[in-house]
Amino acid sequence: SNAATPSEPLQQVLSKTRMSDLVRDIDPNIYMEDEVEEILLSYVDDFVDRVLNGASMIAKHRHVNNIEVKDVQQFINRNFNMWAPGLGTDELRP
Amino acid sequence: GTQIRSCKEEFFLNMNALQHRIRLAVAKHGLDEPSNEVAAVISHAAQERVKNLVEKLAIITEHRLEMVKS
Repeated sequence: SNAATPSEPLQQVLSKTRMSDLVRDIDPNIYMEDEVEEILLSYVDDFVDRVLNGASMIAKHRHVNNIEVKDVQQFINRNFNMWAPGLGTDELRP
Repeated sequence: GTQIRSCKEEFFLNMNALQHRIRLAVAKHGLDEPSNEVAAVISHAAQERVKNLVEKLAIITEHRLEMVKS
């Protein structure tokens, strides 16, 4: 469905399978408790919402009608001290 | 027009769930729907973030185990 009804329960953006794959890639000896995994999964939901909110604010500040990759990159760069990899080498500053 | 890609892209995040959140966010801010590249870059960023956190947690765990040993 295309309707984004707020009452709809939101599906988690990260699956346990994907998380386990990543953890195994980092170090196959890591054992992660279920509780820790749950915290990280909900952290990712929160992270995504914060990024979307921040990128929306930046896009609005630029007086454009949609979020562009550079808005996401700028928010991430400023708030998480990391670089969003790949996808274009656009100038960061508008 | 719509760009169709021949290569299969594997994303870290569940794209349906992510698109849903994107729609909610842009509706809240009165923006139009962004391109698929925005979803892709958010997915990559989330992957980097989780990787960084798990690596840090692994280091903390290692230190804790060392302290137990000594």
